[in-house]
Formats: sequence, structure tokens, C-alpha cells
Amino acid sequence: MLAYYLRLALISIRQSPGLSLLMVLAIGLGIGAAMTTVTVNYLMSANPIPHKSEQLFYVQLDSWDPHQAANENGDPPDQLTYRDATALLAAKKAYRQVIQAQIGTVVEPEGKDSLPFQVSGRANSADFFAIFDVPFLYGGAWSETADSEQQHVVVLSQSLNERLFGGKDSVGQKVKMAGDYYQVVGVMANWQPRPRFYDVTTGAFNEVEELFVPFSLLAEPKLSRNGNTNCWKPSGEGYPAFLNSECVWTQMWVELRNDSEKQQYLDFLNAYVEEQKKLGRFARPLNNRLSDVMQWMENQQVVAEDASLMMVMSLMFLLVCLLNTIGLLLAKFLSKAPQIGLRQALGASRQHLFAQYLTEAGCIGLAGGLLGLLLAWLGLQGVTLLYGDSMKGLAELDWVMVLLAMGLALLSSLLAGLYPTWRACTVQPSQQLKSQ
Amino acid sequence: MLKMKQLGKVFHTGEVSTHALREVDLHVKEGDFVSVTGPSGSGKTTFLNIAGLLEVASSGEFLLDGDNVNLLSDSQRSKMRNQKIGFIFQGFNLIPELNLFDNVDVPLRYRGFDAKERKRRIEQQLELVGLASRMKHLPSQLSGGQQQRVAIARALATSPRFLLADEPTGNLDSQMAQSVMALLEDINRQGTTIIMVTHDHGLAQRAKRQIFIKDGRVSELTAVEGLHSAGLERVTPLHTHGSADAARQLGV
Repeated sequence: MLAYYLRLALISIRQSPGLSLLMVLAIGLGIGAAMTTVTVNYLMSANPIPHKSEQLFYVQLDSWDPHQAANENGDPPDQLTYRDATALLAAKKAYRQVIQAQIGTVVEPEGKDSLPFQVSGRANSADFFAIFDVPFLYGGAWSETADSEQQHVVVLSQSLNERLFGGKDSVGQKVKMAGDYYQVVGVMANWQPRPRFYDVTTGAFNEVEELFVPFSLLAEPKLSRNGNTNCWKPSGEGYPAFLNSECVWTQMWVELRNDSEKQQYLDFLNAYVEEQKKLGRFARPLNNRLSDVMQWMENQQVVAEDASLMMVMSLMFLLVCLLNTIGLLLAKFLSKAPQIGLRQALGASRQHLFAQYLTEAGCIGLAGGLLGLLLAWLGLQGVTLLYGDSMKGLAELDWVMVLLAMGLALLSSLLAGLYPTWRACTVQPSQQLKSQ
Repeated sequence: MLKMKQLGKVFHTGEVSTHALREVDLHVKEGDFVSVTGPSGSGKTTFLNIAGLLEVASSGEFLLDGDNVNLLSDSQRSKMRNQKIGFIFQGFNLIPELNLFDNVDVPLRYRGFDAKERKRRIEQQLELVGLASRMKHLPSQLSGGQQQRVAIARALATSPRFLLADEPTGNLDSQMAQSVMALLEDINRQGTTIIMVTHDHGLAQRAKRQIFIKDGRVSELTAVEGLHSAGLERVTPLHTHGSADAARQLGV
């Protein structure tokens, strides 16, 4: 019977093209607006590393001002001091651990015609690549020895390798940065986690950096840091004093494979802080944190509040569109009351009529869904234009969202069709037949 | 086959109650051709709607093939209507956007026949009413008489035992009316029981039995030699009350 109902629905839609178009428009607009904001929220709140997000933990220690918490919630600062980060890294108490900070530098390509250019980079310890499952096109990560010996090695992004070496295997080649030569040990394949969870302090939706160098090189002030630095007391004069200060600018992640490892690591952090307290630091109460990936994303409010608000508003708009659709369907279905009466006389039960008219509502919904997808795509292009590159990659419809849009359109139209269909099916067939 | 015992129907509109049918006792046997006449508003259509399971009686008992239809659910009544009853209306009631084939197909779909059986029945019925060559035409492309023939084909497609006709010739000229009446008589001869509401006294007299309804009360008219030639009948009461009223109306 479904094929029969589909045929009747198409005939009915063709019969009143204006009314049908209005309904498709109403649903399409609602779905388009809803899907634009839902997509942005969905991608913002996506798990960027689902297979191990519960094994990766962001480390926080409360080294802040004894008289004032680092933020309103009483949470510890969202980064570590250099001295704590390097001490925790050296302790090697986790299965894997990485400390990192964003840098900016100037690359000086070889060749007379090539001009120096600025790139964003990251200084990180060796485990960065293993802990975050970074894919490699050529070569691989540097060793821990390279870290400890402050070797001038670099891992390039695929795009930077394309720019510098025409995309060829550049492992072993030299790249000149800030006056020094760095040997290429690896070239990453395309890698763009969204959100860029490993460092949300410098923008959760920014592009992945173009080059990576050992964190230990930051012991010298040659590479300039690009990230956020927060201090609750003066750092003192000179770079060594800054490194030894209470300023926080380093992020640390650890990989802990189970609850037992997590508890052991937390105990280790607490013991470390207790030891530091004896040295006159960490005057605040013990407040160390290990947050897994999704907890950290939530803590950092990766899904912006205004995005959530926009989503609620667009869903309300969808509701308004559905109310309009209900009115239009009611008008359409009630105008078919004589035919409904006739079908009842010819043996149609209410179930038959419900199925027939809900099929028609569903067809309108699917057409609205297709229009909604187109509008959502346009809306997402608008979002990209409005917010620039930071939203690039967030403004894309994947198959999950396409299915969601069609499902939402179908469900919405069926819900919208329920009342008009019920009203139409409750008409007395005898009255309708007489009035024809 | 069809038995009504003390059947009543009351419509309530606000505080006003209208008795459309009162204490109707009627027995229609297999193969009957019953015409129903009466003044406008007398309850003819209500009677036909109850007989066709389109409305439920307010009181009394209605047995169709032994089943008390008052006790049936909506879906059971729909199924019984589809299997046992065919309808013909004054206004033809064809679905304008469907061609003749698809119009006749409607009750067959609800009956659940497969495509091959539906096609066979549709072609057979359209052949019977002489419109097999026009099955792809829309109703608007046919004359009134032809549309009524399609409606008859649709009513007969499920092989119903009852055919209920509500003024089937009301919208037709006399020539077409005679043609449709002849078709109904032919259908009745083949065994289908017909109940036909009509205002046409001449057509009513061609039925095997004549029912007269006035003020919701039903009487049966029996043709009597001599009286018949004068256009008069004798009233046989089908209920205990109201027969005198009906007789007075007829001047018998």
C-alpha cells in the first residue's frame, strides 16, 4: 500500500502546487536554519579522538595566587608553569606525557627568489606524536634524546613540506628558521582534529601548526612563543627568571590507560605539590586536576554559549515553521473531507486514511528536508564568510548531518501532519457524501 | 440478511434533539430490490447511511448477515463495508484527479487484492458498464450518465452482496436515468440485493419492494391491483406506531 499512498501523495501535491510549495518552503526554512546551527554545535562538540579520549588527560595544578583563585569557578589555572611542566615530564610517571607551547617563527627558504615567511609552530616533547596519534607521510617523530639534547630537528606539516620541498620526501633536509638550521625528521600527513583539542587555549578551531620542534629548545629565547602567558606575580628580570617564574604558559597531557594509572598519577601530582609546598610554593589548597578530552572541552567551553543560544533560537524557528505547516496541512486535508468520506464509504479504515495522509505529509517533509539541506549548506557558507577561517571545517555537512536533516524533516512533517490528519479522519463520512 | 429491530437515530445539536429514524423494523432478504421514497428530510438518507454502516443507530438492533453491527469497532465496520456493501451516490462521487481505472481501483485496494486480480476486476466491471475503452479518461471527460456507470462499476468491483444507491438517477436526464435503472435491474437479477433511495415514483415502482419513510417512520407499500393503476398503493405498516400517519399521507 505504501507505493499506492506515495502515488496518491504525488497526485495530491501536484494538484495544489502553490499550497504544497508553501509547506515545503516552511519546512525547508525551518530545517535549514536548524541544521546550520545544529551542524556548527555538533562539530564543535564532536569528540576529536574518540578511540582514546578517555585515556588522555589534561593536567592542571593550582599554583596560583594564595589570595585569589585563577578564575571565578575556583578551578586551577588552565596552563602550567615551565618549571612544573618540565619537572613532571622528567618524572615520567605516566604511560606517555607531553608538554607543549605554541611558537611563531620565520622560515627562510633556500634560493635567491624565495622570501622568508612567518609560520605558526609548536614546541613539544617527543611523545606529542604518539599520544595524539599524529599520522606521518614521511619519517616520524624525534627521539627523547633529541628532546634532552636540544637537537635542532623539525617535523613539517604536509602543506609546509609542499611549499618548501614540493611535496617530496624531505626527511634529512635542512630548514632554516630564525637563523638556525633544523633537520627534517618527519612530515605529517594531513591532520586536523576538530576541535583542535590538544591546545584549546590558543583557539579550539584554529588550524594545526605548520611545524613542530622539541620543547627543550624553549630553554633558549631564540624561538618566540605565541601562546597565552598568565602571571599572578612579577616574573623577574631576564629569560631564566621568566622560566623559573610562577607564570603559566605550558600545557601538559598524559596518557593513562586505566583508572588505576589515573589514580596513581593523581597521587603523584598531589605528592609533587605537597613537596613544592614545603619549598614555599603552592600556597592554595590542594586542587590538582586530571580532565579527559571531553571534560576538558567542556571545561574550556569549546561550544561557545552564543552558538548554543543560536541553536535554541533556530529550533524555535523550526517550531514556528512547523506550526505554519500544521495550519497549511489542516487547510489542505480538510478540503479533502469529501474524498475522505468517500474512501471511508468504499472501505477505508481510519488506519488506511492516516497512512495515506501521513505519507503525503512525509513527502512534503522530505522535499522540505532537501530544500533545508540546500539552505543549511548556504547558511554554513555564510557562517564561514562571517567568521573566517576559524570556522572552516566546522561549516561542513557530513553524512550524519544529512541523515539528521532528512530524519528531522520527516519527523517534523509527520508530527505536523498528525493533527490535520486526525481532524480530517474524524469528519462524518455521511455528511461529506451528502454534501458532494 | 439485513434486519433492523426497533432502530432509532437521534441527532443532537446543542439542546435540540432531532429524531431522524423512529422504531424501524425491517427485514431485507437476499436478492431483494427495495426502493425507499419519502419527502425531503424524512430520514431516507439517514436510513441508507445506517444500512451502509456509515452511521451508527442510537437505539435498537441492526443485524447484517447475523452480525450486530452496533457492536463492531470502526475498523470492523470498514472491513464489513468494503466486503459486503457497494455505494452509488446521486453526485457520482468519483475522485476527479484519478482516471476511471484508478477510481474503480479504490475499494479493491482496501480489500487487499493483488495487482493482477484488481486489474481483472476493474476491466470486467468497466466492460460491464460499457466504458472499458475509456479507462484512462478522467471523470471530467465523461457525461453524467457515464460517470454514474463508473460509480456503479466501482460499487460492484468488490462483488458486494448489497448495493446501496442514494438517488442514483437524481442528476441524470430521463433517458440516462432509465439506462442506469435498467443496469441496476440487471445487477439485481444476477443476485445483488439493492436498496435504492429515490424521489422518482416511476423508478421506485420498478423495485420489488417499496419502502416509504416519513418523519423517521418506515412503512412498506404493497401494490394492489386497481389501486396501482390509479397510482396508489396500500400501506403495510412495518412498525407498531406511525402506520396510520403514513396511510393518511397517502390518502389510503
